[in-house]
Amino acid sequence: MPNAGSSFLAAVWAILRKECRSEWRTRYGLNAAVLFAVTSLTGVSFAVGRLTDRSDVLAALLWVVLLFAALASLSHAFVREVEGRTLTLLRLVASPTEIALGKLLFNLVFLTVLEAVTVPLFLILMGAPGPRWGAFLALLASGSFALATSATLVGALISQTRGRGALFAGVSLPLLLPVLAAAVAGTRNQWAGGSAAVEVRMLMAYAAATLGASLLLYDHLWED
Amino acid sequence: MSALRETSVGVVGTEAVRVTARALAHRYGPQRGLEPLSFEVVAPAVVAVTGPNGVGKSTLLKIVAGLLEPSRGEATLAVGGRSVLAAERRRCVGYAGPELSFYPELGVTENLTFAAMTRGLPAPAVRVRESLDRVGLSRHGTERVAALSSGMMQRLRIAFALLHRPPLLLLDEPGNHLDDEGRVALRAIVAEEGRAGLVLLATNDEREWRLAERRIELSGRGLGHSA
Repeated sequence: MPNAGSSFLAAVWAILRKECRSEWRTRYGLNAAVLFAVTSLTGVSFAVGRLTDRSDVLAALLWVVLLFAALASLSHAFVREVEGRTLTLLRLVASPTEIALGKLLFNLVFLTVLEAVTVPLFLILMGAPGPRWGAFLALLASGSFALATSATLVGALISQTRGRGALFAGVSLPLLLPVLAAAVAGTRNQWAGGSAAVEVRMLMAYAAATLGASLLLYDHLWED
Repeated sequence: MSALRETSVGVVGTEAVRVTARALAHRYGPQRGLEPLSFEVVAPAVVAVTGPNGVGKSTLLKIVAGLLEPSRGEATLAVGGRSVLAAERRRCVGYAGPELSFYPELGVTENLTFAAMTRGLPAPAVRVRESLDRVGLSRHGTERVAALSSGMMQRLRIAFALLHRPPLLLLDEPGNHLDDEGRVALRAIVAEEGRAGLVLLATNDEREWRLAERRIELSGRGLGHSA
């Protein structure tokens, strides 16, 4: 018999694999996210040209594009289960915490793939100065972690409610604003030659706090 | 307030599995739900839950499965003399109901393999093959769920319920959409599972409740109504 710890990890891993396979087969979120990122960057690049000397605008634009490209898919991780009526199946094979962690890991993988496409394109099209790679990658990682934990939590909370769309916007706004503000400030600082360590720490602490609160909440989420 | 209506089914046998309901009730709305109900069933047994539409047969099974928190009372499950918490019931309960859906973009085998892996079952491929064999779906393992007929989907639900060899099997309208061959397979499964464990069948189909040796007849007219 597998012990509780290995069983927990096996469940999380199985859910992550299932999410990746479903996304690969349906391209439910990735195509739309990449399309949004590419078209908006191309549009801005045609309209205003290269923004090499505007690190403040560059930082804001990068995170706004990432946020909006990712948000539709991240928020639908649980809604898809409710609308596809597969939540019963999930609840019969895994605990709410296992389900939520599997979804969170998938959201992180999703963001990583999205950034792998979007960030190089952004640097080229916007004429961004070469980033300080250590700080820049740390910001992308911590910002993605914070974004994924917040969006996963909100997605889980609203999945079984009526008027999910409006509720998602209302609940997400206060949760995502600090993430966006810290990520933009850190990215601007690293382009301006300053340190982004404070913002990286802030984003990691925020993500850890959100994850901790989520772990306390998830087991009570789907109690009818 | 409606009076407590007691229905008691006691089945003599081993105490491997015991389901006990005490004043169990659930309310969806002012006039819909499961009326207060008490019973006890012990394995080995096949027990049918029957009654008119809307009386709470499916609700009862969902509560026993741990999918629904009752409004009042309690439903307890004990396996091997030890009480199983609602949150842990998924390990001991095999559930197949009409609202159980699968991932349409995945195949039959892929759906069951996902369930087996998530449950942390050893040798998931063997378990999946075994379950598909029992419901007669082996030849359709590679088909996408979206392409299945209603009858095949019903077989898949039963295969899913059997996957982890649960001591308690909860089957809600299990014969829905099944052809003759499917009903033969269902009869064999119910008989086999009922010999070793406990099977609860929610049904109004006489061909199904005749598979059971005991019946729990729900005859309430809904919460909020006087008897």
